[in-house]
Amino acid sequence: MNKDLEKLLFNPIRLRIISFLISVDNASFNKLIEVSGASKGNISVQIKKLNDAGLIRVKKQFKDNYPLTLCSITSKGKKYFEIFFNELKSFKK
Amino acid sequence: MKSVEQIKLINETINKTKENLKPLSFNLIFWGIMINIMSLVHYLFPSFIQHTKYTVLAYWVILPTLGMIYTIRWNIKKGIEIGYETIMNRTIKIIWGVFGFGWMLIVFTALLNGFNPVPLILFLLGLVLMMNGLIIKFKPLTAGGIVMFMFIYSIILNPDANYLLVNMAGGTLGMLIPGIFLSRMKVNQ
Repeated sequence: MNKDLEKLLFNPIRLRIISFLISVDNASFNKLIEVSGASKGNISVQIKKLNDAGLIRVKKQFKDNYPLTLCSITSKGKKYFEIFFNELKSFKK
Repeated sequence: MKSVEQIKLINETINKTKENLKPLSFNLIFWGIMINIMSLVHYLFPSFIQHTKYTVLAYWVILPTLGMIYTIRWNIKKGIEIGYETIMNRTIKIIWGVFGFGWMLIVFTALLNGFNPVPLILFLLGLVLMMNGLIIKFKPLTAGGIVMFMFIYSIILNPDANYLLVNMAGGTLGMLIPGIFLSRMKVNQ
C-alpha cells in the first residue's frame, strides 16, 4: 500500500470519515461532523486531504436555497480502505 | 493508535449507519390516502369530475402531479435532515423515479390514444411495490404488490368492473396498509 495513503488513514478523524462513507452511498458535511465528532474547521481540512488524495469525492450543491456538501467514497478509496483494513487484521493476528 | 483500536473505531463508525425506512412509509401512506380520496370523490361525484373531457384530465393529471411535487420536496427535505443516503435508499429512490416517468408516459399515451390508463398504472405500481418489498425484505409490501396483480387480473377477466373501486382497494391494500405497518416498525439495522 502507498505509504502516504496509509499515513492518511492513520488519522482517527479521516478513518472515521472513510469508514462511514464505505457503508453509505453519500453523506452530508454535517453528518460527517456528527459521525467524526470533529469541529467544522478540522473536518474541512480532513475532507480536503482525502479529496486531494482521490479517496473521496466532494459535490457542492444547493437544495432549497441552502448550500449542501455531499461526500462519497471513490473506487480508489474503497480499494485502499480494503487493503488498509486487511493489513490491520493481519497486525492483530 | 493500535490496530485493535482502529478496527474497533471502524466497526463503531460503520454501525452508525442505519437503514431509514420512515420516508418510504410516509410516501406509501400519502399516496394510499391520495388515491383513495381522489377515487372516492370521482366515484361520488362523477357528473362533476366527468363534466368535460378536460375536467377528468385536470383531475387525474394535475392533482397527482402536485402530489408528486409535494412528495419530491418532502423527500429532499427529509434527505437533508437524515444527512446520508444508503445504497438501498438510493435504489428505492431510483425505482420510484422510474415509476414516475412510466406513469407520465402511460397517462399521456392513454390521453393521445383514448384508452383507460388504470390497468397499466396498477400493473406498474404492482411491479414497483413488489420490488420495494423484496429489496427491503418487508412481506406486507411484497404482498401488496401481489394483491395489485390480482386486481389487474380481475380487471382483465371483468372489463366492466368499476376502476375507481379497484383503485381504492389497490391503494388501500397495496400502499396504505403496508405503509402503516412500515411506519410502526422500529429502525432497522
